[in-house]
Amino acid sequence: MSDKSAEVKKEVVKDKYIVSSSPHVGTNLTTKKIMLHVIIALSFPLIAGVVIFGLYSLFIVGLSVAGAVFGEWIYNKARKAPITVYDLSAVVTGLILGLNLPPTVPFYIPVVGGIFATLFVKMLFGGLGKNFANPAATARVFLSLSWTAQMTRFMSPINYAQKPLDFFAGFNNIVSSAKYITSATPLGTIKTSAQTGFVDVNLLDMFLGKIGGSIGEVCAIAIILSLIYLLVFKIIDWKIPLTYIVSVIIFTLIFYKKGYNFILPTLLSGGLLFGAIFMLTDYATAPKTFWGVITYAALAGLLTILIRRYGGYPEGVCLSIVLVNIVAPLLDKIFKPRPLGYVKKKKKEA
Amino acid sequence: MFKLTFKRGGIHPKDMKELAKDSAFEEMPTGAKVYIPLVQHIGAPCTPSVQVGDYVKVGQNIGLANGYVSANIHSSVSGKVLGFEARENAAGKRVRHIVIENDYKYDEVFFEPLENPTKEEIILRCKEAGIVGMGGATFPTHVKLEPKTPIKALIINGSECEPYITTDYRLMLEKPVEILKGVDLVKKALDTKQVFFGIESNKGEAIKNIIKHATDEQLSVFELKTKYPQGGEKQLIYALTKESVPNGGLPSDIGYIVLNVSTCLALYEAVCLGKSSYSRYLTVSGKGIKRPANLHVRIGVPYEEVVEYLGGTNEFVKIISGGPMMGVSMHNLKTVVSKGSSAILLLTEKEIRDVSPTPCIGCGRCARACPMNLMPMLIDDFILHNRVDDAKAYYAMSCIECGCCAYVCPAKRPLVQSQRLAKKLIREKDMHH
Repeated sequence: MSDKSAEVKKEVVKDKYIVSSSPHVGTNLTTKKIMLHVIIALSFPLIAGVVIFGLYSLFIVGLSVAGAVFGEWIYNKARKAPITVYDLSAVVTGLILGLNLPPTVPFYIPVVGGIFATLFVKMLFGGLGKNFANPAATARVFLSLSWTAQMTRFMSPINYAQKPLDFFAGFNNIVSSAKYITSATPLGTIKTSAQTGFVDVNLLDMFLGKIGGSIGEVCAIAIILSLIYLLVFKIIDWKIPLTYIVSVIIFTLIFYKKGYNFILPTLLSGGLLFGAIFMLTDYATAPKTFWGVITYAALAGLLTILIRRYGGYPEGVCLSIVLVNIVAPLLDKIFKPRPLGYVKKKKKEA
Repeated sequence: MFKLTFKRGGIHPKDMKELAKDSAFEEMPTGAKVYIPLVQHIGAPCTPSVQVGDYVKVGQNIGLANGYVSANIHSSVSGKVLGFEARENAAGKRVRHIVIENDYKYDEVFFEPLENPTKEEIILRCKEAGIVGMGGATFPTHVKLEPKTPIKALIINGSECEPYITTDYRLMLEKPVEILKGVDLVKKALDTKQVFFGIESNKGEAIKNIIKHATDEQLSVFELKTKYPQGGEKQLIYALTKESVPNGGLPSDIGYIVLNVSTCLALYEAVCLGKSSYSRYLTVSGKGIKRPANLHVRIGVPYEEVVEYLGGTNEFVKIISGGPMMGVSMHNLKTVVSKGSSAILLLTEKEIRDVSPTPCIGCGRCARACPMNLMPMLIDDFILHNRVDDAKAYYAMSCIECGCCAYVCPAKRPLVQSQRLAKKLIREKDMHH
């Protein structure tokens, strides 16, 4: 594309002008700039994750980004098509997937996941904007099914007061994560206490991220910062996270015994906030109509709670996102907007 | 004052009006030759009523309206008809132009000025003088003055929501009495008493000036929110009355007629002064012109002469007839000023939109910006796959081509072009059935 505009510039000198359809002015926001904004927003939970779980987390996320970019690049190469990785959307996919992984996974998991996300979920369906489901969420579901043990092995946050060198210790897991002791996550606690109606978790720790969990999902405060950033720059639609969270609250009250005890633990645990802000809002897979968006996010909330409460897995955010992604086009069809001045078609008199 | 606006969508482009806002209208001198296009309106082209070698006067009819939806064309100078020439007009189409040599005498023929005209006289004069919508749409005005349904209120469009253009703003400052007299004539022609005068809030001086000069108690001036496309007919009617024009219908179907301030002025000049529509007020602006200004120019003057008069150009990449949102880009400066030329813009590379498209990322910004509540990204997708029926089912025909969708598109897709293509293909398909 840049070659073309260079040609245009040369021609101008010869007294020729650009002739194109209206409008002739526009915003300077581009796809690449949007992706850069998302990358900046993702850096908050990334930094938090690295501080909490050590340098190996950064390595995992890096591998995931490399895998995702490679997946898209190799597809372009194989098809002898122009290289599309410069739009940075593969980097975003890689980052989101990496932040969704436990900080103890061996190196091949982020690599396989990254490649799967872009090559299979995105490129094979037509590339940017054409994927049927969120590539990172689908890849996480795929990895959870393929390596269930590794994908559910979490570690406790580094205790800097006692063992500051643990910051570098994570690399012990590079080939196999068996050496790490599995830490209990709040999600597990919620699952086991669903019957009693009393949940024993430390909400402040969950808010600050001093809990076991996936790299980018533990620190609620970092994710809330990202949310503010994305809303200020108008990158995401506020309706999606808001509706999702409201829906989660409502269905928590309905499906849990003494549901009010579960509201904050549910919101702050697992990938709920992260998914609401970074994955549910994915442009290509979210509906575009007002009521489509509301139904989509509400449905995702219902599915998340149903899976968490009654499903075999403690976490249901990614799976519910993939499921509602699939119905998104249908929702847009149902809630097809009517133009200004719409008149009902009268049936022709027989 | 409470600011009125339309229901949904819309954008806030940089208005860039500061470039020409404070320069009063100047009378531009006319060059040795004028080229008068035979199509200056929506509708059938005119039939030339003069022959090569004829001597014509200013205001003399040189092109006869062809059919009901068409408008007469008059000479803007006195002198000899040199011949006919095919040139690109301001709508980007190649049409026949009558070439007239200017003898600089400006001998003028007038219609008889009417003191107290009847309804029929006003409409007839409007037809004879060749008045069309001067805001840029160029719909023959006499057709609007003969609606099939009774009219509840006349709406005067002073919103001028397109960036850069300051023509209507300057007219409201410099010729408020004439405009209001024109409004009175339209009221008479339409048998209506109520007038709503809508002006965008960024034209505070104009609002004050119109209120100051308005004597009619049934004329109410409304401040509109500065938002594009506030001056779109359907958006303006909604803002002022909270009523929507039915899909595929006309404003007159719900009892309203919308006219632009410069059209009212042209009507006043035709009826009260007997002048035919052979000149117009326009804005020349953009960072590409050395001296942005508001001018009064005769029809048929090539853009190059206008540019020369204003001291030449800086390096620019795009020539636009009309505003930056809905105007048409020109191949060169040989295009001439016609009845619909509300502006000539010379834009530099920094001012224009990047037009190299990338894939749609499905962000939905176009749908949120659409003032007609359409789904531009879907219509774009449908029409690129030749799914004409689907494009129709998603109401492509309701598109007003305002350009909000493409303005906000981060993938720089040519969305307006797609909607136009969709409308064309739907029309063709409907004709075959």
